[in-house]
Amino acid sequence: MKTRTKVLLGIVGFYLLSLFVIIAIFGFTRQDNEEFQPQNEFKLDTWVNLPGPFDINKAVMYLFIAGILTTVTMIWIANRMEARPNRVQTAVEALYSLMRDNITAGNMESAMARKWFPFIGALFLFIWFSNLIGYIPLPTNTQEKFSLFGAEIPGFAIYAATANLSVPLVLALVVFVSYNVEGIRTKGVGGYLKSLIPTGVTGAMAAFIFVLEFLSNFMRLISLSVRLFANILAGHLIILFMSGGLAVLLGIEALGWITLPLGVILFIFEVGLVATLQAFIFATLTAIYLGGAVAEHH
Amino acid sequence: MLATFLTLVFAAAEDGADAGKAIALGVGGGLGAVGAGVGIGIIFGKVIESVTRQPEMRDEITGIQWLGFALTEACFFYGLVAGLIAFFL
Repeated sequence: MKTRTKVLLGIVGFYLLSLFVIIAIFGFTRQDNEEFQPQNEFKLDTWVNLPGPFDINKAVMYLFIAGILTTVTMIWIANRMEARPNRVQTAVEALYSLMRDNITAGNMESAMARKWFPFIGALFLFIWFSNLIGYIPLPTNTQEKFSLFGAEIPGFAIYAATANLSVPLVLALVVFVSYNVEGIRTKGVGGYLKSLIPTGVTGAMAAFIFVLEFLSNFMRLISLSVRLFANILAGHLIILFMSGGLAVLLGIEALGWITLPLGVILFIFEVGLVATLQAFIFATLTAIYLGGAVAEHH
Repeated sequence: MLATFLTLVFAAAEDGADAGKAIALGVGGGLGAVGAGVGIGIIFGKVIESVTRQPEMRDEITGIQWLGFALTEACFFYGLVAGLIAFFL
């Protein structure tokens, strides 16, 4: 047997053995837990009361962290660029060329791409950082506190600003306004509305298609925001349930041990694929909408 | 006799409302997953087909593949969010 097989067999054996031990100790009986409210992970308590709609809560803190991280890391790396790049600089340069060549320049003309690249790049990085810091446990749960050397510390919890519909909706609104304004600026109001109808369609069919396309423009708002929001929300929910929430909710101790490997796999999946992919999709669709709004033909 | 029957009916109606919510979550999540699963399967199948036919196009196809994957996957979450709204609200 190879070493790798032995290690794998050992891990699986340990897992099964401890599962039997847990079942033998605690049994497999259900005791519903009424106190634990899983939706509290997404509850926003006001932390700092400010006049008007400027209260500071968990989501605002995450937005601040994401914004500061985006600007500070990128400026810091840009200021210490060297001719012989180290590993971080190489990674950021790859990211830069992905944003510039694939996302922006691949979907619009070069003059347009030069103009809109900062916007799309900032959008991509901001959403990416927001998604990624959402998977780092931070002491934000003010309801469940624990004391460490006498100090009361809020419980560690994961939350992402993009798991709240308002944040993706605001980003989608900015995109919506900017591509419509850009389209109207290049073609005029009449020309822009006329360009919604595909070439070659005439008569009553054209009116029908116009209404359809006009409404689908507004559907883009919903699809753009809900796609990002629902992906992150579902990811956080499933991580919550798989890594112990279900076991606490139902009061079955062994169930936690059964779902834990799934939780770990899903966490890796979310961090490695979904966080980046959703930022990429948002930026790419923004570029496609911007490019489509100014394109000659529909 | 009638009173017991009525309490049973009301209890059943209350259970029915809860059951309806559970069904909404199940249908929203489950049927949404069916559609998105078929779609994602088709996308990756087509990607394999295209890459075996034209291996030199691999990089370009990979970009389109992730775009299609994310767009299809989002449809599952529309159903799931609708189910969650029905369940919790």
